[in-house]
Amino acid sequence: MSRPSEGTAPEATSGGRAYLDEVMAEIDAAVRRRRQSGDLPLRVERELDQLFLRHAPLGGRGGSLEEPLRLVDAAVFVDPVVPVASKKSGGALVKRGVRQLTLWYVGYITQQVGQFASAVSRSLHMIDQQLQELADRLDAETAPPPEVIEVPSQGEGSWWVDAALRALAGTPGRVLHAAAGDGWLVRLLVEGGVDAYGVDPRPDRVEAAQGTLDLREEQLAEHLRAMEPGALSALVLTGVVEGMTAGQRGHFLDLALGRLGPRGRLVLHSASPAWWQADDAPPEADLSAGRPLRRASWEHLLDRHGFRVSADDGPAALDYLVVAARKDAPPADR
Amino acid sequence: MRVAFVTPRYGPQVTGGAETGARLLAEHLVRRGGFEVEVFSTCAVDRVSWDNVLARGTSRLSDVVVHRFETVGGRPPAFKGLDERLGLAPWHAESEDVERWVELNGPVSPGLVEAVTESGADVAVFYPYQYHPIVTGIGRVPMPRVLHPAAHDEPALYLPLLRDVFQSADAICYHTEAERRLVQGAHRVADKPQIVLGLGVAAPAAGGRVGGEILGIGDRPYVICLGWVAEQKGSAMLARYFGLYKERQRGPLALALVGPVSMEFAPQPDVVVTGAVDEPAKWDLLRDATALVSPSAFESFSLAVMEAWEQAVPVVVNARCEPTRDHCERSGGGLWFGSYLQFEAVLDRLLADGPLRAELGRRGRDYERRHFSWPGLIERYAGFLAEVVERGPGPRPGPGSGAGAPAAQPAPTA
Repeated sequence: MSRPSEGTAPEATSGGRAYLDEVMAEIDAAVRRRRQSGDLPLRVERELDQLFLRHAPLGGRGGSLEEPLRLVDAAVFVDPVVPVASKKSGGALVKRGVRQLTLWYVGYITQQVGQFASAVSRSLHMIDQQLQELADRLDAETAPPPEVIEVPSQGEGSWWVDAALRALAGTPGRVLHAAAGDGWLVRLLVEGGVDAYGVDPRPDRVEAAQGTLDLREEQLAEHLRAMEPGALSALVLTGVVEGMTAGQRGHFLDLALGRLGPRGRLVLHSASPAWWQADDAPPEADLSAGRPLRRASWEHLLDRHGFRVSADDGPAALDYLVVAARKDAPPADR
Repeated sequence: MRVAFVTPRYGPQVTGGAETGARLLAEHLVRRGGFEVEVFSTCAVDRVSWDNVLARGTSRLSDVVVHRFETVGGRPPAFKGLDERLGLAPWHAESEDVERWVELNGPVSPGLVEAVTESGADVAVFYPYQYHPIVTGIGRVPMPRVLHPAAHDEPALYLPLLRDVFQSADAICYHTEAERRLVQGAHRVADKPQIVLGLGVAAPAAGGRVGGEILGIGDRPYVICLGWVAEQKGSAMLARYFGLYKERQRGPLALALVGPVSMEFAPQPDVVVTGAVDEPAKWDLLRDATALVSPSAFESFSLAVMEAWEQAVPVVVNARCEPTRDHCERSGGGLWFGSYLQFEAVLDRLLADGPLRAELGRRGRDYERRHFSWPGLIERYAGFLAEVVERGPGPRPGPGSGAGAPAAQPAPTA
C-alpha cells in the first residue's frame, strides 16, 4: 500500500543561496548609505514604514518586537499642522483659516500627547533591549538541540528491525518515525499495512525519498508540539535520544509520551554507553551535551511514566531496543 | 473517483488565489482522467457583497460539473468593526463573537452543504479555510475531507472556533512549506496526512504583441504587478513607493498594475492601470517586464510569481510574506523589500544590473519548472486523494469543541 506522497521544494543549493545573500547584503549596505545621507527626510521614511506595516502579518517572519516598534516610532510624532488640501473650491482656504485659529490649542495638546508617546516608545525600546540581552544569555547557556546520531545497526536488516515491526504490526492510527532518514523504516511499516510517516531535521535525508512516502523535514520536538495530545498510535525513535542532556530528555519524554494515545506504544532504538565510548563512535559522541542512557535507565524512566517495558540488547551490547506500552492501556478493539 | 470541491466562488471571472487554485486543480483532475469532479459553490463573484450574479443551478465548465447556490446577503457594515475588534487578540475571541464573525463573513448559502452531504462523492475538498460553507460544512459531510487552507498570517487563522475546521480535516494540502509552518504554529495538525503541493503554471499563451505597446508606453522599461489591485494586496503602498521612487530617481521606468481594480486609484504619472487583461496580453506583458513586483504580505502561494519565472523574469516580493520570500530564498530567483529604502535600492540594482536580472530569472524558471509543472503536480495530487479515500473518514471533533478553547498564539521565533 502506498501512502500520500510528501514533497517539499528543496533548498536552493548552498552556492545559490550564498549568491542571493551576497546580493541582498549589497542592497542592505546601499540602504544604510542612503539612510545615513539623510536625503530622505526621517518623517517621510516613517510615514512610508507605517504604510508598509499597515498590512503586515500578525506573527510574521522573525516575530520580534522590532517591526511593531518601528510602527510605534513612526506614530510617535503627532503633527499639529493638519493638511489643508481639499477637493471643494475654497475648501483649502477655509481649512487653512481653521488651522491658523486653532493651532495654539492643537499644538498644546499634541505636545503633551507627543511627550507621552515618546515616553512609551522609550520604555518599549528598553524592554526590547532587556529581552534581547536575556535571550542572548539564554542562548549562550542553553544546550543546542541534540544532533541525529547514526548508530551502526540502523537500517533494513538490522537485528532489531523485525522486533520493532512485530511490535507495531496491526497498529491502528498514525505511527511516527524519527529520525526517519530516507524513509527506510517508514517504507517497511507502510508495506506492512501501518499508517506510518516520518520526520527528520536533516534536509538532505528527506529529499532522497520525496514523492513516495510521507516524510517531512522538521525538528521532532516542534513537530510533536504541533499536534494534539494522544494523536499518535506509536512513536519510533532511532538516533534521536543519545545526545540529549538530562533536562532535554525530561522535557522531550513528557512531550512525546503525551502525544501517544491510550494504547500508544513507544519503540526506541538507542546506542549504549559502551558504543558511545568506543574508538569508532562518531564525533557527535564527543560534541553532544548529553550521553546515552543504559537500557535499565530507560526501563526505570518509562516505568515511572506508567509504561510497561520490554527490552532487548543487541550483539555485544552496543545498542538496545526498548518497546513500551501504557500499563493502563484499554484492551484492543476486537 | 468522484471528488466534490467546496469553494465560496468559482469560475474564470473570480480573481482570488484560493478560488483560482480550486478551479485549476478541478480542471486538471478531470483532464488527467479517472476523476469525476463536481464543484459546490455560490452564484457570487464578489467576496464582499456576495451578490448573486451567476445563474443558480447546475452547469458544466471545462468538463467540471458546477452546482451554484444563491447567497443570502453580503457582508454588512457591522463586519468591519467586529473583524477589527477580534483582530486585536483573535486567540482570545469569545465563541459567540466568532460564530457571528463566520456568519457575517459569509457567504451564507442555504442548501450548499446539504448538497455536498448528499452528493455521494468519494472525497470532499474544502478550499480555503475561513468562509461560511467551509466552516459549517467540513465537520458535517460523511465522506473523507481534504482541507486546502490557503492560509496566510491573518487574525482569522487564530480564531478559536476555526480550530474545528482544521481538526475536522482528514488530510491537509498546503501551497508551500511556509504555509505548513504557519498553520502548524496555530493549530495542532502535524499528525494529519498532508502534502505540500502548490499550483501548476499553464504554458504561456503569448499574443505576439510587445508589452510596452499594450501599456501605451512604447519601448520604455516597466515593472509589473499582476493580480487584484486592492489596498490589502499592497497596491496602494506600491503606487506610493513607486511615485516617490520616480521623484527621486528620474528615468523612463514605468509601473504596470495589471488586474481587476477594487480600490480608488488617482491617476499617477508613470503608473499604468490596465484592469483585467486576457491571457495572451498577460503573457506578453510578463515577458517584456523588467521585473514583477509582488507587494502583498498576504499570499499563500502566488501564481503571479511563478508565471513571471516561467518567463524568466526576476521578482521582487514583500519581505514579510513568508511564502513568496520562501520561494525566492529556495529558488534564488528574486529579491525582497521590507521598507521604502530597500525597495528603492532593489529597483536601482535590478535596473542597473542586466546579468543579475538574467541570473535571477534563470534560477526562478528552473525552480518553477522543477516543482510546479502540471503533469507531475496533478499526479501527486491524484495519488494523495486516492490515499485519503483509502483511509476513509476519521472521527470528527465534538460539536463546538473549538469554542472557547484558545487557538495557539503565533509562536515567537528567534
